[in-house]
Amino acid sequence: MKKNDYQLYISGAIKLGVSFGVVSLLARWVTGNTILSSPETLIKYGLIGGIGYSLVGALSSILFGFLAKKIRENHPGQHTIGDVLRQKLTPNGYWLMITVLILTSFHSLFVQAMGAGILIQMIFPIPYFIGLLLFLTFCFFIGGAGGMQRLHQVAGVNVTLIFAAVIIIPVYFYIQEGVYPVYDGIKLYHPYLLYIKNTDAFWFIFTAIFVFFGQILIDRASWQRMFIIQKEKVQLTFTLTGLIWATIPLALSSLLMITIFGRSFENVYSLFSELVNRIQSSILIVLFVVFVFSSIASALSAELHATTTLFVKNIMELFFTLTNNEKWKYTYFFSGVVCLCLLVIVSILTPSPLTLLFFTGNIYAAVISPMIYIILSKGVLPFIVPFSSFIGSIGGYIFVTRTEDFKGIWLSFTISTALCLLVLIYKTITRNNNKLL
Amino acid sequence: MLSVEAFSLNIMIAALVPLLGAFTLLFLFIFEKRIDLLEKKTREIALERELQTALYNQLNQEIQPHFFFNTLNSILSLARLDRKTELIRSIETLSKLLKFKYQTNNTFITIDEEITYVNYYLEIQKIRFRDRLHYEFSIDSNVNQAITIPFIIQTFIENAFKHSFEKYVGEAFLKTTIEKRGKDIHITVWNNAVEGAEELSRERGLGLENITKRLELLFPDGKTSVQLINSDNGTSVLAIFPFILSSEI
Repeated sequence: MKKNDYQLYISGAIKLGVSFGVVSLLARWVTGNTILSSPETLIKYGLIGGIGYSLVGALSSILFGFLAKKIRENHPGQHTIGDVLRQKLTPNGYWLMITVLILTSFHSLFVQAMGAGILIQMIFPIPYFIGLLLFLTFCFFIGGAGGMQRLHQVAGVNVTLIFAAVIIIPVYFYIQEGVYPVYDGIKLYHPYLLYIKNTDAFWFIFTAIFVFFGQILIDRASWQRMFIIQKEKVQLTFTLTGLIWATIPLALSSLLMITIFGRSFENVYSLFSELVNRIQSSILIVLFVVFVFSSIASALSAELHATTTLFVKNIMELFFTLTNNEKWKYTYFFSGVVCLCLLVIVSILTPSPLTLLFFTGNIYAAVISPMIYIILSKGVLPFIVPFSSFIGSIGGYIFVTRTEDFKGIWLSFTISTALCLLVLIYKTITRNNNKLL
Repeated sequence: MLSVEAFSLNIMIAALVPLLGAFTLLFLFIFEKRIDLLEKKTREIALERELQTALYNQLNQEIQPHFFFNTLNSILSLARLDRKTELIRSIETLSKLLKFKYQTNNTFITIDEEITYVNYYLEIQKIRFRDRLHYEFSIDSNVNQAITIPFIIQTFIENAFKHSFEKYVGEAFLKTTIEKRGKDIHITVWNNAVEGAEELSRERGLGLENITKRLELLFPDGKTSVQLINSDNGTSVLAIFPFILSSEI
């Protein structure tokens, strides 16, 4: 393969084994969400919620592993989620799903950038805009212009930093403080965290399964990695990624408890600046800050790379016949514009704590059944299958305005599942009738 | 409410599981290539073994009817000539021959076993050819326990009968020499027939091709060859393969 071949940008030069596959997926999945949502979950739903968050993440990845094996068997020679959707959907269905993918991509990129913005504002003394500009420029060079090879180079460093931080910092703190004072402090100031029979936490875990699984099911970056992992190792890689990933939010939750014991707090995100203040060793401060930014940067770069690939390979190429050089040009242009947009939007909007986790929960829940149907079925599926995800999402959002979040997510899932089931039953009946005739 | 013990346990697990994750990754990085290589090697060996067994069985199946029908034809000739005593003797020998044959499922046997087997066959032929047939063996004493493929000498001798002695009248001389030369064993089966030599070299015989393939399979790393040599005083077949004692395997 030539050095300037666009395929090299999409897939890199080598097929990944389990170890590199896990590293690459971890770099993608340890995100701003993981770092910011796990404390949010801990505060909202207590210890059970924190543990549930980890388990649900692991479960989603393991479940996706089963499907990934199937996808690799049924779709050899493909590189992106768009390639598979194009094979399995009608043109209208394809464009609908591409729209959903682009929307969720932008949302996900925005959330990562916003997360980075929040942390820059809290941790660094430099002007917020400059910090964000530097951060996004780095992401542009890694994910936007660098391609898969550059992403993998960064992934190794990132995963090393992740483990160094989540192993060393909690151990350091608990050795310094001891577990008993932390327990007493939490019992006094935040007793709800220790409450086991927390029905809300269980509902949260149950709902998070839909959101997480839906998210990984249409994650462009995970699909791209799935196609470059050795075929026989795909399932094992996703299973191990799930299990190893689960250890990170667990460790982060235990870390956060250090900062909240014995005192109250303003909001969830202020806990990070508190944490930095509490770390007295300057090496550990550097480690923590580098860990946070490297995680967000690698996740954002992976997302940026996947979205750019989707745009060039699965949108532009369908309209124009592009030469290799043109593909590269569009790649630089598109990823540059995305980074610029992110910079402008995140700078204009004052970084404020968002409900990061369930912002697009309805879409993720609604997309599960259509995607499973698309993956497991044979032949081209009618427009109603991808459209059911749209109906499901809208249904969920309408319902959300009148009731609480979780029910909206379940409703989104139920509507799209019901529609897909109806299509399946209709197709089975008509096929049987045709056979009889 | 979570007790302090449960809380401690939770913290301990939360702080230690990343270590487990890191170790798993580290283990994978160090050993994945080696595990892959081992798996590949095991698979290759198993595949090769299967292939060889399949090939061997196939070749062995090919040679059985070849030999069997020739022998039956010899016995049939005795029956037609009404040579009853010899017929009984030959059937008895054939029974021993078949017993030996069907007890042998190994991919290799010793030269000693092969000679015993060949003797049964020659006994049958002696009954048929009577005084016309003269045969002798010259075997190095140290090669008796060396391994070879089953039916190697048998096939050479069978070919001598099929292509020479049975077609042309006159005295039938057969000499089998087994000797160790350097690290190899040389088996030579010579017969005095000149007339059948051309036909034999043209056909080369089903058996000779099989022997060549089987020797290659049994000694994949050693030098093996099967040559048909025509000379003025007769025709000989020479097989060369590595000298390996059965005790070494």
